[in-house]
Amino acid sequence: VRILGVDVGGTFTDAVLVEDGQVLTAKVPTAERQEESVLAAARAVGASGVERFTHGTTVATNALLERKGARTAFVATTGFEHLLHLRRQDRAHLYRLCAQHPEPLVPLERCVGVRERMGPDGVLVPLDLGSLPDVDAEAVAVCLLFSFRDPAHERAVAAEVRRRLPGAHVVASHELAPEFREYERASTTAVDAYLGPAVARYLGALSHACAREDLPVPFVMRSSGGVATLAAAAAHPALALLSGPAAGVVGAARAAALAGFDRAISFDMGGTSTDVCLIDGGEAERSGERVVGGFPVRLPTVDLHTVGAGGGSIARRDAGGALRVGPESAGARPGPACYGLGGAEPTVTDANLLLGRLPDRLAGGLELDREAAARALGDLDPADVVRVVDAEMLRALRVVSVERGRDPRDCVLVAFGGAGPLHACALAEELGIGTVLVPEAAGVLSALGLAAADERRDVVRTVLAPLTEAGELPAEGEADLRYRGQSFELSVPLGERLAERFHEAHEERYGYADGDREIELVAIRTADVRPGPEIRLVAAPALQVSGPAVVELDGSTCWIAPGWVGVRDGTQGGGLLLTKGDERAPKP
Amino acid sequence: VNIELQVIGSALRAVCEEMGAALIRSAFSANIKERRDCSTALFDEHGRMIAQAEHIPVHLGAMPDAVAAVAACDPGLHDTFVLNDPYAGGTHLPDVTLVSRTALGFAVTRAHHADVGGPEPGSMPASSRTLADEGVVISPTRLDATTLERLVAQMRNPDERRGDLRAQLAAQAVARRRIDELSDRYGPEGVRAAMDELYAYSERLVRAAIAKLPNGRFAAEDVLEAAAGALPIRAAVTVTGEEIEIDFTGTSSQHDGNLNCPLAVTRSACFFVVRCLAGPDLPASGGAFAPVSVRAPEGSLVNARPPAAVAAGNVETSSRIVDVVFAAFAQARPVPAQGQGTMNNLTLGNDRFTYYETIGGGQGACPDADGPSGVHVAMSNTLSTPAEALELGYPLRIERHELRLGSGGEGRFRGGDGVVRELRVLEPCRLSLLTERRARAPRGAEGGGPGAEGRNLVNGMEVPAKATLDLEAGDVVRIETPGGGGYGVTAE
Repeated sequence: VRILGVDVGGTFTDAVLVEDGQVLTAKVPTAERQEESVLAAARAVGASGVERFTHGTTVATNALLERKGARTAFVATTGFEHLLHLRRQDRAHLYRLCAQHPEPLVPLERCVGVRERMGPDGVLVPLDLGSLPDVDAEAVAVCLLFSFRDPAHERAVAAEVRRRLPGAHVVASHELAPEFREYERASTTAVDAYLGPAVARYLGALSHACAREDLPVPFVMRSSGGVATLAAAAAHPALALLSGPAAGVVGAARAAALAGFDRAISFDMGGTSTDVCLIDGGEAERSGERVVGGFPVRLPTVDLHTVGAGGGSIARRDAGGALRVGPESAGARPGPACYGLGGAEPTVTDANLLLGRLPDRLAGGLELDREAAARALGDLDPADVVRVVDAEMLRALRVVSVERGRDPRDCVLVAFGGAGPLHACALAEELGIGTVLVPEAAGVLSALGLAAADERRDVVRTVLAPLTEAGELPAEGEADLRYRGQSFELSVPLGERLAERFHEAHEERYGYADGDREIELVAIRTADVRPGPEIRLVAAPALQVSGPAVVELDGSTCWIAPGWVGVRDGTQGGGLLLTKGDERAPKP
Repeated sequence: VNIELQVIGSALRAVCEEMGAALIRSAFSANIKERRDCSTALFDEHGRMIAQAEHIPVHLGAMPDAVAAVAACDPGLHDTFVLNDPYAGGTHLPDVTLVSRTALGFAVTRAHHADVGGPEPGSMPASSRTLADEGVVISPTRLDATTLERLVAQMRNPDERRGDLRAQLAAQAVARRRIDELSDRYGPEGVRAAMDELYAYSERLVRAAIAKLPNGRFAAEDVLEAAAGALPIRAAVTVTGEEIEIDFTGTSSQHDGNLNCPLAVTRSACFFVVRCLAGPDLPASGGAFAPVSVRAPEGSLVNARPPAAVAAGNVETSSRIVDVVFAAFAQARPVPAQGQGTMNNLTLGNDRFTYYETIGGGQGACPDADGPSGVHVAMSNTLSTPAEALELGYPLRIERHELRLGSGGEGRFRGGDGVVRELRVLEPCRLSLLTERRARAPRGAEGGGPGAEGRNLVNGMEVPAKATLDLEAGDVVRIETPGGGGYGVTAE
């Protein structure tokens, strides 16, 4: 079986071809037209006779951040037309009084109302379709009040808009995110509508190109960490905003599972940003909401935390004398000073070179210029630069572990991306983590994650009723529960003793439980999962090395700190396992 | 700067964020869980503010007085005290503050409760004349289970109050746990050193920014719209080198209504302006305010003495103080035009429910940008309650929530627009309105036009800026909030 995964990043497009446990990898520069990069990477890795092809794309994210989506209209209940502009009334910056939130995706003149009103218990004002004005738009988002309770009006309005504008991409909020809080639901719907035409165009072009190259129609990675058919992805692109980073988390979860660990923290440190995510029971943690480009998107996503710092981040002293690293980055061009491509600003990579954690010549053949790095850093101590960026990473790692009540010491740290394996030992020590796993494919792990991903469809059903009246519940999935009167839920896996386990979770999270309060079942979350292909990797040559040492990997470099030992003996799914002193691998 | 101190500093800030998340996510009343009318902070052993979660400006500058009041009670390790007395560390009665003694200082949460007893549901009456008219006054008291029950029994919806207080306790517990962990990890001395540095770092940056202002004395005044007539607030800002003194001599005496505020609130408003002008991106700590001293005559509107009523001081007078202090600074450097200058406090309630919200309006335009629309402009930054959350929990219906288009002032840069919000009550209840800028519009700057003044209506009939009245089922309250002033002359 030949399986292809292609992940498009900002700088490089990575391909992984898996056949009988053998992994071939390729990297090509990302071109203006993403479908060309995808094909170039597929050719570079020698993809032919491929049976399954999975794709991670940044088209949706880029279209949102660069504001290149469709001319979109918004339909609301009369009196609520300005919902997208009012947001939740908080200002963009507490002390910069004229800081603006990002301009809403739909301008006021295309925000319209329709006469109708649903309340918590049903129809208050009947729908008057005649009151719906004509709009001139390529995409239309429809979000009526309480459609998460009763979608009848919203469904009828969407049908009417589709009838009037047969060519438009029309999204109704209850189809996508049937949950309460109208602003967040409207924002999600508007993002989805706005991205619809652009993403559909791209995926259409990709699908044609694949047919020409004799590649199968690709699956597309979603933010949730599962893949969807191309048609499903084109219908609701807001579900794929985190397509690429989610693939990295899936890759890390697979690598951890292959090495026999089911609790891990995924640590993907690239050139300009770093993504971290907790993995428990072999699965990435998930969340129901994320803010992308300033817009709330209330859809299932792997719960990763992103920091705007990576190997290319620039270090500087601020007016108060504190050393800061990032968010400015030297990017791929000119890149760090030591690349000798004209960069003069001191970066994290330059500091790592001066600390002896990088070879003089990278695996790709690039000679590193130690003197240029020293010039760029000037009087900055390279060890301080690394400690400051590590502090940022540490904060992110704590957000996904300690702050969510998870003990990082029960986890292995899965380090990948171009810079992850350089910083892993120091971060593990700070968190009390005794084991670091550096997957063999550390430089292209996202593409490997794509190849291995499950097919997944998340289903949310809003219930909003006392738990005692909820009737029979599915055996698998999660229940969103809260005490009646609260507004935020705790997700508890479905199964026996649901109420008791909610009280326990509340106690663990907030320090108390209240057995007398009624528990409300807000929603049931289930997922249809079709497992991805099983991938067995053939181990790279065995290795045992004590720190301090530098180990070069495919697309990445690993720094083994003093006191750490690196072992690769084929039992870790082909990865390199770093352990502190003579501690043994943790309790999986 | 020592890097380990920076690392511990980040950890302390993360503790505040985590406290805030625990409080909001486990709270029961809309004002906390949806509107996030609450704040969290950590203080050191000397009672200096070290880190805060950036929520509500008026809470934060006023918290040191709460810590001082509790420190004076000599709390034991991990003891938690509760208070709301504006004359002993509080601001106005609905803001209930919890202060715990941690291993290395104090942890504080402050949350605006939807009711704290008293004659008027919601405890934000329009016509209170003494503190006793505004609810239960809690001087610093050790909070145990018995005290908690005794307190909530004096308030409406004791069950909701209990839940909200427990949410605050959950946040206090987070602080205790995390501070202990940090102390184990880095040693108490290491954490203390990091606290000192967080404080000193903000102070250094603010001093450097103040040094760039021209020295001099800059005075300004404005008025509040009290029912019995306008009340002047006067401020003189003196910049000397790296320090600022703000003096309110000449301000009206405390009055017979509830626009009075304790000095803590006045200080908080002054700190807010300095923060906007001198260090908007600073990590928040008390050090940012060390170079700022505030003087106000005892018994004045801005340094009231008991038993003056204070319900509107924290929300409305604080907004006007910001306007006056900005106006004084305008003589030293460019500042934004006036924003809506009110929080548009709306309280509804009866024996079954109490609901409180504040409504955003227009921000004044800045020297280089339009003012945002439909936001809180100064001492608040609470969210709106979603119609869907409101209607699921209360006998209320939102009929309309939209921008008040055209209400922002004209100018080279336009003032932000206000908001129109209509609420229909579904059962008989009391309405209290505490609003400002209904008679005097927010002013433009440098030739910019004024924003539109606000309006309050019940069933289409205009009602005063400050009003308490009975509503019948089906009545509709419509609030039109002020627009912000414009900046500069409109280009032809």
